Amino acid sequence: MGSSFEPSLIVESIPKLLSYLHITIEILALSVGLGLLLGILIAMPRLYHIPILKEIVTVYISFIRGTPILIQLFLVFYGLPVVVGLFGIDITRMDPFYFVIVTYTLSNAAAFSEIFRGAITSVDYGQTEAAYSIGLTPLQNFYRIVFPQAFRVAFPNIANASISSLKDTSLAFSIGVMDMMGRGETLISATMHAVEIYISLAIIYYVIVLIFERLFKWIERYLNRYLVKDELSL
Amino acid sequence: MIQLSNIQKSFGKTEVLKGIDLQVNKGDIVSILGPSGSGKTTLLRCINFLEKANEGTIKVDNIALDVKTASKKEITELRKKTAMVFQNYNLFQHKTVLQNITEGLMIVQKKSEKEAIEIAKTMLTKVSLEHKANNYPSALSGGQQQRVGIARALALNPEVILFDEPTSALDPELVGEVLDVIQKIAKEGITMIIVTHEMNFARDISNRVVFMDGGVVVEEGTPSEIFNNPKSDRTKQFLRRLVPEFTYEI
Ligand SMILES: Nc1ncnc2c1ncn2[C@@H]1O[C@H](COP(=O)(O)OP(=O)(O)OP(=O)(O)O)[C@@H](O)[C@H]1O
Ligand SMILES: [Mg+2]
Repeated sequence: MGSSFEPSLIVESIPKLLSYLHITIEILALSVGLGLLLGILIAMPRLYHIPILKEIVTVYISFIRGTPILIQLFLVFYGLPVVVGLFGIDITRMDPFYFVIVTYTLSNAAAFSEIFRGAITSVDYGQTEAAYSIGLTPLQNFYRIVFPQAFRVAFPNIANASISSLKDTSLAFSIGVMDMMGRGETLISATMHAVEIYISLAIIYYVIVLIFERLFKWIERYLNRYLVKDELSL
Repeated sequence: MIQLSNIQKSFGKTEVLKGIDLQVNKGDIVSILGPSGSGKTTLLRCINFLEKANEGTIKVDNIALDVKTASKKEITELRKKTAMVFQNYNLFQHKTVLQNITEGLMIVQKKSEKEAIEIAKTMLTKVSLEHKANNYPSALSGGQQQRVGIARALALNPEVILFDEPTSALDPELVGEVLDVIQKIAKEGITMIIVTHEMNFARDISNRVVFMDGGVVVEEGTPSEIFNNPKSDRTKQFLRRLVPEFTYEI
Protein backbone atom coordinates (compact mmCIF):
# COMPACT_ATOMS: atom_id res chain seq x y z
CA MET A 1 0.00 0.00 0.00
CA GLY A 2 2.95 2.30 -0.50
CA SER A 3 1.49 4.01 -3.59
CA SER A 4 0.88 7.76 -3.54
CA PHE A 5 -2.49 9.33 -2.73
CA GLU A 6 -4.80 9.40 -5.79
CA PRO A 7 -7.86 11.63 -5.28
CA SER A 8 -9.44 10.51 -8.57
CA LEU A 9 -9.71 7.01 -7.13
CA ILE A 10 -12.14 8.32 -4.51
CA VAL A 11 -14.57 9.42 -7.21
CA GLU A 12 -14.00 6.40 -9.43
CA SER A 13 -14.69 3.84 -6.73
CA ILE A 14 -17.94 5.41 -5.51
CA PRO A 15 -20.10 3.91 -8.32
CA LYS A 16 -18.41 0.54 -7.85
CA LEU A 17 -19.21 0.60 -4.15
CA LEU A 18 -22.74 1.89 -4.74
CA SER A 19 -23.53 -1.15 -6.84
CA TYR A 20 -23.55 -3.03 -3.50
CA LEU A 21 -25.63 -0.45 -1.67
CA HIS A 22 -28.78 -2.53 -2.10
CA ILE A 23 -27.26 -5.25 0.12
CA THR A 24 -26.72 -2.74 2.90
CA ILE A 25 -30.24 -1.40 2.49
CA GLU A 26 -31.71 -4.91 2.44
CA ILE A 27 -29.91 -5.80 5.68
CA LEU A 28 -31.12 -2.60 7.26
CA ALA A 29 -34.73 -2.83 6.06
CA LEU A 30 -35.14 -6.47 7.04
CA SER A 31 -33.46 -6.18 10.41
CA VAL A 32 -35.30 -2.99 11.34
CA GLY A 33 -38.65 -4.32 10.09
CA LEU A 34 -38.33 -7.69 11.80
CA GLY A 35 -36.72 -6.00 14.81
CA LEU A 36 -39.78 -3.78 15.22
CA LEU A 37 -42.13 -6.76 15.22
CA LEU A 38 -39.98 -8.78 17.60
CA GLY A 39 -39.34 -5.67 19.70
CA ILE A 40 -43.05 -5.09 20.26
CA LEU A 41 -43.51 -8.75 21.16
CA ILE A 42 -40.71 -8.83 23.71
CA ALA A 43 -41.86 -5.56 25.25
CA MET A 44 -45.10 -7.31 26.26
CA PRO A 45 -43.87 -9.58 29.07
CA ARG A 46 -42.45 -6.63 30.98
CA LEU A 47 -45.38 -4.33 30.25
CA TYR A 48 -47.97 -6.84 31.35
CA HIS A 49 -45.86 -8.54 34.01
CA ILE A 50 -45.94 -12.03 32.54
CA PRO A 51 -43.91 -14.18 34.93
CA ILE A 52 -40.91 -16.21 33.67
CA LEU A 53 -41.10 -14.64 30.18
CA LYS A 54 -40.44 -11.33 31.87
CA GLU A 55 -37.22 -12.65 33.39
CA ILE A 56 -36.15 -14.23 30.12
CA VAL A 57 -36.52 -11.03 28.08
CA THR A 58 -34.81 -9.01 30.80
CA VAL A 59 -31.73 -11.23 30.60
CA TYR A 60 -31.87 -11.21 26.80
CA ILE A 61 -32.05 -7.42 26.59
CA SER A 62 -29.29 -6.97 29.12
CA PHE A 63 -27.08 -9.46 27.25
CA ILE A 64 -27.57 -7.70 23.91
CA ARG A 65 -26.85 -4.34 25.49
CA GLY A 66 -23.75 -5.58 27.23
CA THR A 67 -21.98 -7.30 24.31
CA PRO A 68 -20.43 -5.87 21.12
CA ILE A 69 -22.44 -6.46 17.96
CA LEU A 70 -19.40 -8.03 16.29
CA ILE A 71 -19.28 -10.73 18.94
CA GLN A 72 -23.03 -11.27 18.61
CA LEU A 73 -22.51 -11.68 14.88
CA PHE A 74 -19.85 -14.35 15.40
CA LEU A 75 -21.89 -16.06 18.09
CA VAL A 76 -24.85 -16.36 15.74
CA PHE A 77 -22.68 -17.31 12.76
CA TYR A 78 -20.83 -20.08 14.57
CA GLY A 79 -23.33 -20.86 17.32
CA LEU A 80 -26.65 -21.02 15.49
CA PRO A 81 -25.62 -23.92 13.19
CA VAL A 82 -24.54 -25.88 16.27
CA VAL A 83 -27.83 -25.25 18.08
CA VAL A 84 -29.94 -25.98 14.99
CA GLY A 85 -27.75 -28.99 14.29
CA LEU A 86 -28.94 -30.54 17.55
CA PHE A 87 -32.32 -30.84 15.86
CA GLY A 88 -30.75 -32.52 12.85
CA ILE A 89 -30.92 -29.51 10.56
CA ASP A 90 -27.82 -28.52 8.68
CA ILE A 91 -27.48 -24.79 8.05
CA THR A 92 -23.71 -24.63 7.82
CA ARG A 93 -23.93 -23.92 4.10
CA MET A 94 -26.58 -21.24 4.44
CA ASP A 95 -25.84 -17.83 2.90
CA PRO A 96 -24.15 -15.71 5.62
CA PHE A 97 -26.59 -12.94 4.66
CA TYR A 98 -29.24 -14.72 6.75
CA PHE A 99 -26.99 -14.88 9.81
CA VAL A 100 -26.51 -11.16 9.49
CA ILE A 101 -30.28 -10.63 9.35
CA VAL A 102 -30.79 -12.83 12.41
CA THR A 103 -28.12 -11.03 14.42
CA TYR A 104 -29.24 -7.51 13.57
CA THR A 105 -32.87 -8.40 14.10
CA LEU A 106 -32.11 -9.76 17.56
CA SER A 107 -30.00 -6.75 18.37
CA ASN A 108 -32.50 -4.19 17.06
CA ALA A 109 -35.39 -5.95 18.78
CA ALA A 110 -33.70 -5.56 22.16
CA ALA A 111 -33.16 -1.84 21.63
CA PHE A 112 -36.61 -1.27 20.14
CA SER A 113 -38.43 -3.17 22.87
CA GLU A 114 -36.98 -0.91 25.54
CA ILE A 115 -37.95 2.15 23.49
CA PHE A 116 -41.47 0.79 23.00
CA ARG A 117 -41.87 -0.11 26.63
CA GLY A 118 -41.20 3.46 27.69
CA ALA A 119 -43.38 4.86 24.93
CA ILE A 120 -46.36 2.63 25.68
CA THR A 121 -46.20 3.51 29.36
CA SER A 122 -46.19 7.18 28.42
CA VAL A 123 -49.65 7.03 26.80
CA ASP A 124 -52.16 8.30 29.33
CA TYR A 125 -54.15 5.40 30.81
CA GLY A 126 -57.31 7.52 30.72
CA GLN A 127 -57.52 6.94 26.98
CA THR A 128 -57.44 3.21 27.53
CA GLU A 129 -60.31 3.58 29.98
CA ALA A 130 -62.19 5.67 27.43
CA ALA A 131 -61.58 2.97 24.81
CA TYR A 132 -62.92 0.29 27.15
CA SER A 133 -65.87 2.48 28.08
CA ILE A 134 -67.04 2.63 24.47
CA GLY A 135 -66.67 -1.14 24.11
CA LEU A 136 -63.28 -1.64 22.45
CA THR A 137 -61.55 -4.89 23.39
CA PRO A 138 -58.07 -4.76 24.96
CA LEU A 139 -56.53 -5.80 21.65
CA GLN A 140 -58.43 -3.14 19.70
CA ASN A 141 -57.43 -0.60 22.29
CA PHE A 142 -53.81 -1.59 21.89
CA TYR A 143 -53.54 -1.33 18.13
CA ARG A 144 -56.00 1.50 17.54
CA ILE A 145 -55.44 3.80 20.51
CA VAL A 146 -52.27 3.07 22.47
CA PHE A 147 -49.84 1.84 19.85
CA PRO A 148 -50.24 4.65 17.30
CA GLN A 149 -49.50 7.20 20.01
CA ALA A 150 -46.68 5.15 21.50
CA PHE A 151 -45.17 4.86 18.04
CA ARG A 152 -45.05 8.62 17.74
CA VAL A 153 -43.24 8.88 21.07
CA ALA A 154 -40.89 6.05 20.16
CA PHE A 155 -40.15 7.15 16.64
CA PRO A 156 -37.23 9.57 17.18
CA ASN A 157 -35.42 6.97 19.29
CA ILE A 158 -36.18 4.23 16.81
CA ALA A 159 -34.83 6.43 14.06
CA ASN A 160 -31.60 6.99 15.99
CA ALA A 161 -31.21 3.32 16.76
CA SER A 162 -31.81 2.48 13.09
CA ILE A 163 -29.11 4.89 12.02
CA SER A 164 -26.65 3.25 14.41
CA SER A 165 -27.74 -0.06 13.01
CA LEU A 166 -27.08 1.19 9.48
CA LYS A 167 -23.50 1.92 10.43
CA ASP A 168 -23.20 -1.47 12.14
CA THR A 169 -24.16 -3.23 8.90
CA SER A 170 -20.62 -2.50 7.74
CA LEU A 171 -19.56 -5.38 10.00
CA ALA A 172 -21.49 -7.92 7.93
CA PHE A 173 -18.42 -8.42 5.79
CA SER A 174 -16.67 -10.02 8.77
CA ILE A 175 -18.67 -13.19 8.17
CA GLY A 176 -18.35 -12.96 4.42
CA VAL A 177 -21.37 -11.00 3.24
CA MET A 178 -20.49 -9.06 0.12
CA ASP A 179 -21.88 -5.62 0.89
CA MET A 180 -20.37 -2.18 0.22
CA MET A 181 -17.74 -2.80 2.85
CA GLY A 182 -16.86 -6.12 1.29
CA ARG A 183 -16.62 -4.57 -2.13
CA GLY A 184 -14.39 -1.90 -0.62
CA GLU A 185 -12.01 -4.54 0.75
CA THR A 186 -11.70 -6.17 -2.68
CA LEU A 187 -11.09 -2.78 -4.28
CA ILE A 188 -8.33 -2.14 -1.79
CA SER A 189 -6.64 -5.43 -2.65
CA ALA A 190 -6.95 -4.68 -6.35
CA THR A 191 -5.73 -1.06 -6.26
CA MET A 192 -3.51 -1.10 -3.18
CA HIS A 193 -5.04 2.25 -2.25
CA ALA A 194 -6.73 1.87 1.13
CA VAL A 195 -7.16 5.50 2.17
CA GLU A 196 -8.96 6.54 -1.00
CA ILE A 197 -11.38 3.63 -0.79
CA TYR A 198 -12.10 4.26 2.88
CA ILE A 199 -12.76 7.91 2.09
CA SER A 200 -15.24 6.83 -0.58
CA LEU A 201 -16.92 4.50 1.90
CA ALA A 202 -17.07 7.20 4.53
CA ILE A 203 -18.65 9.62 2.06
CA ILE A 204 -21.26 7.06 1.02
CA TYR A 205 -22.22 6.08 4.60
CA TYR A 206 -22.32 9.71 5.65
CA VAL A 207 -24.57 10.74 2.76
CA ILE A 208 -26.92 7.81 3.38
CA VAL A 209 -27.14 8.71 7.05
CA LEU A 210 -27.93 12.32 6.10
CA ILE A 211 -30.65 11.16 3.72
CA PHE A 212 -32.16 8.90 6.38
CA GLU A 213 -32.06 11.68 8.97
CA ARG A 214 -33.91 13.96 6.59
CA LEU A 215 -36.46 11.25 5.83
CA PHE A 216 -37.00 10.49 9.53
CA LYS A 217 -37.48 14.17 10.38
CA TRP A 218 -40.11 14.30 7.71
CA ILE A 219 -41.95 11.27 9.09
CA GLU A 220 -41.63 12.71 12.58
CA ARG A 221 -43.36 15.88 11.51
CA TYR A 222 -46.21 13.83 10.09
CA LEU A 223 -46.51 11.75 13.26
CA ASN A 224 -46.63 14.89 15.39
CA ARG A 225 -49.44 16.43 13.37
CA TYR A 226 -51.96 16.17 16.22
CA LEU A 227 -49.86 17.98 18.79
CA VAL A 228 -50.13 21.67 19.46
CA LYS A 229 -47.00 23.73 18.96
CA ASP A 230 -45.98 24.18 22.58
CA GLU A 231 -46.24 20.45 23.20
CA LEU A 232 -43.79 19.94 20.35
CA SER A 233 -41.10 21.98 21.98
CA LEU A 234 -41.15 19.76 25.07
CA MET B 1 -82.97 -0.30 33.19
CA ILE B 2 -79.95 -0.57 35.44
CA GLN B 3 -79.93 -2.57 38.62
CA LEU B 4 -77.03 -2.74 41.03
CA SER B 5 -77.27 -5.17 43.90
CA ASN B 6 -74.98 -5.43 46.88
CA ILE B 7 -71.95 -3.86 45.20
CA GLN B 8 -68.91 -4.19 47.42
CA LYS B 9 -65.44 -2.98 46.62
CA SER B 10 -62.23 -2.84 48.61
CA PHE B 11 -58.83 -1.49 47.70
CA GLY B 12 -56.53 -3.67 49.74
CA LYS B 13 -57.89 -3.45 53.25
CA THR B 14 -59.89 -0.26 52.63
CA GLU B 15 -63.56 -0.99 52.15
CA VAL B 16 -64.76 1.67 49.74
CA LEU B 17 -68.20 0.37 48.77
CA LYS B 18 -70.12 -1.51 51.42
CA GLY B 19 -73.00 -3.11 49.61
CA ILE B 20 -74.67 -0.60 47.31
CA ASP B 21 -78.13 -1.22 45.86
CA LEU B 22 -79.35 1.10 43.18
CA GLN B 23 -82.04 0.89 40.58
CA VAL B 24 -82.17 3.32 37.70
CA ASN B 25 -85.15 3.29 35.38
CA LYS B 26 -85.15 4.13 31.72
CA GLY B 27 -85.06 7.89 31.26
CA ASP B 28 -83.99 8.55 34.84
CA ILE B 29 -81.47 11.24 35.54
CA VAL B 30 -79.79 10.31 38.76
CA SER B 31 -77.32 12.59 40.52
CA ILE B 32 -74.94 11.06 43.00
CA LEU B 33 -73.77 13.45 45.68
CA GLY B 34 -71.50 12.92 48.63
CA PRO B 35 -68.34 14.06 50.34
CA SER B 36 -64.91 13.44 48.84
CA GLY B 37 -63.82 9.84 49.30
CA SER B 38 -67.35 8.52 49.79
CA GLY B 39 -66.96 6.14 46.83
CA LYS B 40 -68.97 7.93 44.12
CA THR B 41 -66.36 7.55 41.41
CA THR B 42 -65.65 3.98 42.42
CA LEU B 43 -69.34 3.11 42.19
CA LEU B 44 -69.62 4.64 38.74
CA ARG B 45 -66.51 2.81 37.56
CA CYS B 46 -67.82 -0.48 38.93
CA ILE B 47 -70.89 -0.18 36.70
CA ASN B 48 -68.82 -0.49 33.49
CA PHE B 49 -66.11 -2.65 35.09
CA LEU B 50 -63.34 -0.07 34.84
CA GLU B 51 -63.13 -1.12 38.46
CA LYS B 52 -64.00 -4.71 39.24
CA ALA B 53 -66.23 -4.93 42.29
CA ASN B 54 -65.54 -7.76 44.71
CA GLU B 55 -69.14 -8.70 45.25
CA GLY B 56 -72.54 -8.01 43.75
CA THR B 57 -74.50 -8.13 40.54
CA ILE B 58 -74.83 -5.54 37.81
CA LYS B 59 -77.66 -5.54 35.36
CA VAL B 60 -77.80 -3.23 32.37
CA ASP B 61 -80.71 -3.78 30.01
CA ASN B 62 -80.71 -7.52 29.29
CA ILE B 63 -77.20 -8.21 30.52
CA ALA B 64 -76.94 -9.31 34.13
CA LEU B 65 -73.50 -10.12 35.47
CA ASP B 66 -72.26 -11.44 38.75
CA VAL B 67 -69.05 -9.47 39.20
CA LYS B 68 -67.20 -12.53 40.43
CA THR B 69 -67.92 -14.71 37.43
CA ALA B 70 -68.19 -12.16 34.59
CA SER B 71 -65.97 -13.10 31.65
CA LYS B 72 -63.98 -10.60 29.56
CA LYS B 73 -66.44 -11.10 26.74
CA GLU B 74 -69.46 -10.41 28.92
CA ILE B 75 -67.77 -7.32 30.29
CA THR B 76 -67.19 -5.99 26.77
CA GLU B 77 -70.85 -6.69 25.95
CA LEU B 78 -71.96 -4.76 29.02
CA ARG B 79 -69.65 -1.88 28.13
CA LYS B 80 -71.26 -1.65 24.73
CA LYS B 81 -74.50 -0.74 26.51
CA THR B 82 -72.95 2.00 28.59
CA ALA B 83 -70.87 5.08 27.89
CA MET B 84 -68.86 7.31 30.15
CA VAL B 85 -67.92 10.96 30.31
CA PHE B 86 -64.69 11.44 32.22
CA GLN B 87 -63.48 14.21 34.46
CA ASN B 88 -60.39 14.62 32.26
CA TYR B 89 -62.28 14.09 28.97
CA ASN B 90 -59.89 11.29 27.90
CA LEU B 91 -60.26 12.02 24.22
CA PHE B 92 -58.14 10.00 21.80
CA GLN B 93 -55.36 12.48 21.18
CA HIS B 94 -54.28 11.10 17.81
CA LYS B 95 -57.77 11.23 16.35
CA THR B 96 -59.72 14.22 15.14
CA VAL B 97 -62.88 15.29 16.90
CA LEU B 98 -64.91 13.48 14.24
CA GLN B 99 -62.78 10.33 14.49
CA ASN B 100 -63.15 10.31 18.26
CA ILE B 101 -66.86 9.92 17.74
CA THR B 102 -66.81 7.54 14.77
CA GLU B 103 -64.36 5.17 16.50
CA GLY B 104 -66.97 3.39 18.60
CA LEU B 105 -69.60 3.56 15.86
CA MET B 106 -67.37 1.87 13.30
CA ILE B 107 -65.24 -0.46 15.39
CA VAL B 108 -67.70 -1.50 18.08
CA GLN B 109 -71.06 -1.06 16.40
CA LYS B 110 -69.70 -1.96 12.94
CA LYS B 111 -71.51 0.85 11.21
CA SER B 112 -70.35 1.94 7.76
CA GLU B 113 -68.02 4.93 7.61
CA LYS B 114 -70.67 6.97 5.85
CA GLU B 115 -73.29 6.26 8.48
CA ALA B 116 -70.81 6.82 11.34
CA ILE B 117 -69.79 10.21 9.97
CA GLU B 118 -73.40 11.20 9.57
CA ILE B 119 -74.19 10.30 13.19
CA ALA B 120 -71.01 11.99 14.41
CA LYS B 121 -71.90 15.21 12.62
CA THR B 122 -75.38 15.18 14.13
CA MET B 123 -73.87 14.75 17.59
CA LEU B 124 -71.36 17.54 17.01
CA THR B 125 -74.19 19.84 16.04
CA LYS B 126 -75.91 18.95 19.31
CA VAL B 127 -72.89 20.08 21.28
CA SER B 128 -72.36 23.06 18.94
CA LEU B 129 -68.96 21.91 17.71
CA GLU B 130 -69.68 21.02 14.08
CA HIS B 131 -67.03 23.56 13.02
CA LYS B 132 -64.35 21.66 14.99
CA ALA B 133 -64.93 18.26 13.36
CA ASN B 134 -61.47 18.09 11.81
CA ASN B 135 -59.50 19.53 14.70
CA TYR B 136 -57.40 17.47 17.05
CA PRO B 137 -58.31 17.53 20.77
CA SER B 138 -55.12 19.39 21.64
CA ALA B 139 -56.43 22.37 19.70
CA LEU B 140 -59.63 22.62 21.79
CA SER B 141 -60.42 24.29 25.10
CA GLY B 142 -61.31 22.10 28.07
CA GLY B 143 -64.98 22.92 27.69
CA GLN B 144 -64.90 22.01 24.02
CA GLN B 145 -63.06 18.78 24.74
CA GLN B 146 -65.64 17.80 27.30
CA ARG B 147 -68.44 18.52 24.85
CA VAL B 148 -66.71 16.18 22.40
CA GLY B 149 -66.53 13.63 25.22
CA ILE B 150 -70.28 13.98 25.66
CA ALA B 151 -70.88 13.69 21.91
CA ARG B 152 -68.71 10.56 21.81
CA ALA B 153 -70.79 8.96 24.55
CA LEU B 154 -74.10 10.11 23.13
CA ALA B 155 -73.34 8.86 19.61
CA LEU B 156 -73.31 5.25 20.80
CA ASN B 157 -76.93 5.58 21.87
CA PRO B 158 -76.17 3.71 25.12
CA GLU B 159 -78.64 2.50 27.73
CA VAL B 160 -76.98 4.85 30.17
CA ILE B 161 -74.34 7.55 30.17
CA LEU B 162 -72.16 7.72 33.25
CA PHE B 163 -70.76 11.14 34.10
CA ASP B 164 -67.96 11.48 36.64
CA GLU B 165 -67.68 15.10 37.68
CA PRO B 166 -67.80 16.29 34.08
CA THR B 167 -67.01 19.90 34.94
CA SER B 168 -64.60 19.72 37.85
CA ALA B 169 -61.46 19.89 35.70
CA LEU B 170 -62.72 22.97 33.89
CA ASP B 171 -61.94 26.63 34.39
CA PRO B 172 -64.97 28.23 36.05
CA GLU B 173 -65.91 30.21 32.94
CA LEU B 174 -66.16 26.99 30.91
CA VAL B 175 -68.42 25.09 33.31
CA GLY B 176 -71.61 26.70 32.02
CA GLU B 177 -71.27 25.58 28.41
CA VAL B 178 -70.81 21.95 29.47
CA LEU B 179 -73.67 21.96 31.96
CA ASP B 180 -75.90 23.52 29.29
CA VAL B 181 -75.10 20.69 26.90
CA ILE B 182 -75.82 18.04 29.51
CA GLN B 183 -79.08 19.78 30.37
CA LYS B 184 -80.05 19.83 26.72
CA ILE B 185 -79.43 16.13 26.12
CA ALA B 186 -81.15 15.28 29.40
CA LYS B 187 -84.36 16.50 27.82
CA GLU B 188 -84.06 13.82 25.12
CA GLY B 189 -84.85 11.04 27.55
CA ILE B 190 -81.40 9.46 27.79
CA THR B 191 -80.73 7.67 31.04
CA MET B 192 -77.91 9.32 32.95
CA ILE B 193 -76.06 8.83 36.19
CA ILE B 194 -74.10 11.92 37.15
CA VAL B 195 -71.57 12.30 39.93
CA THR B 196 -71.28 16.00 40.58
CA HIS B 197 -70.43 18.67 43.10
CA GLU B 198 -72.60 21.22 41.25
CA MET B 199 -75.54 21.30 43.61
CA ASN B 200 -77.75 23.66 41.65
CA PHE B 201 -77.17 21.69 38.53
CA ALA B 202 -78.05 18.44 40.31
CA ARG B 203 -81.21 19.98 41.67
CA ASP B 204 -82.31 21.29 38.27
CA ILE B 205 -81.45 18.35 36.09
CA SER B 206 -82.19 15.20 38.02
CA ASN B 207 -85.38 13.42 38.86
CA ARG B 208 -83.58 11.44 41.55
CA VAL B 209 -80.74 12.30 43.88
CA VAL B 210 -78.62 9.75 45.71
CA PHE B 211 -76.55 10.83 48.67
CA MET B 212 -73.55 8.64 49.47
CA ASP B 213 -71.24 8.71 52.44
CA GLY B 214 -68.65 6.22 53.66
CA GLY B 215 -69.38 3.69 50.95
CA VAL B 216 -73.13 3.42 51.52
CA VAL B 217 -76.19 5.11 50.09
CA VAL B 218 -77.35 7.23 53.00
CA GLU B 219 -80.46 8.61 51.43
CA GLU B 220 -82.16 8.91 48.08
CA GLY B 221 -85.18 10.74 46.78
CA THR B 222 -86.40 13.48 44.51
CA PRO B 223 -84.33 16.67 44.37
CA SER B 224 -86.85 18.46 46.52
CA GLU B 225 -86.87 15.64 49.09
CA ILE B 226 -83.09 15.67 49.35
CA PHE B 227 -82.45 19.39 49.07
CA ASN B 228 -85.45 20.78 50.90
CA ASN B 229 -86.25 18.04 53.32
CA PRO B 230 -83.28 15.75 53.96
CA LYS B 231 -83.91 13.10 56.58
CA SER B 232 -80.43 12.02 57.56
CA ASP B 233 -78.13 14.18 59.64
CA ARG B 234 -75.23 13.37 57.40
CA THR B 235 -77.09 14.70 54.37
CA LYS B 236 -78.03 17.87 56.23
CA GLN B 237 -74.48 18.41 57.34
CA PHE B 238 -73.13 17.85 53.83
CA LEU B 239 -75.60 20.22 52.24
CA ARG B 240 -75.06 22.89 54.87
CA ARG B 241 -71.34 22.84 54.24
CA LEU B 242 -71.67 22.80 50.47
CA VAL B 243 -74.52 25.21 49.95
CA PRO B 244 -73.99 28.09 52.37
CA GLU B 245 -77.36 29.65 51.66
CA PHE B 246 -78.95 26.26 52.06
CA THR B 247 -81.92 26.07 54.39
CA TYR B 248 -84.40 23.30 54.88
CA GLU B 249 -87.76 23.13 56.46
CA ILE B 250 -87.88 21.60 59.90
N1 LIG C 1 -57.28 2.72 42.74
C1 LIG C 1 -57.40 2.94 44.05
N2 LIG C 1 -56.55 2.37 44.93
C2 LIG C 1 -56.68 2.56 46.25
N3 LIG C 1 -57.62 3.32 46.81
C3 LIG C 1 -58.50 3.91 46.02
C4 LIG C 1 -58.44 3.77 44.60
N4 LIG C 1 -59.45 4.48 44.06
C5 LIG C 1 -60.10 5.04 45.08
N5 LIG C 1 -59.54 4.72 46.26
C6 LIG C 1 -60.01 5.14 47.59
O1 LIG C 1 -61.38 4.84 47.66
C7 LIG C 1 -62.07 5.86 48.35
C8 LIG C 1 -63.22 6.36 47.50
O2 LIG C 1 -62.70 6.98 46.35
P1 LIG C 1 -63.62 7.62 45.22
O3 LIG C 1 -62.71 8.15 44.20
O4 LIG C 1 -64.63 6.63 44.79
O5 LIG C 1 -64.33 8.78 46.00
P2 LIG C 1 -65.25 9.94 45.46
O6 LIG C 1 -66.51 9.86 46.21
O7 LIG C 1 -65.36 9.87 44.00
O8 LIG C 1 -64.46 11.23 45.90
P3 LIG C 1 -64.27 12.64 45.15
O9 LIG C 1 -65.49 13.44 45.43
O10 LIG C 1 -63.06 13.22 45.82
O11 LIG C 1 -64.05 12.35 43.71
C9 LIG C 1 -61.05 6.93 48.67
O12 LIG C 1 -60.69 6.77 50.03
C10 LIG C 1 -59.91 6.63 47.78
O13 LIG C 1 -58.69 6.99 48.38
MG1 LIG D 1 -64.68 11.10 42.38
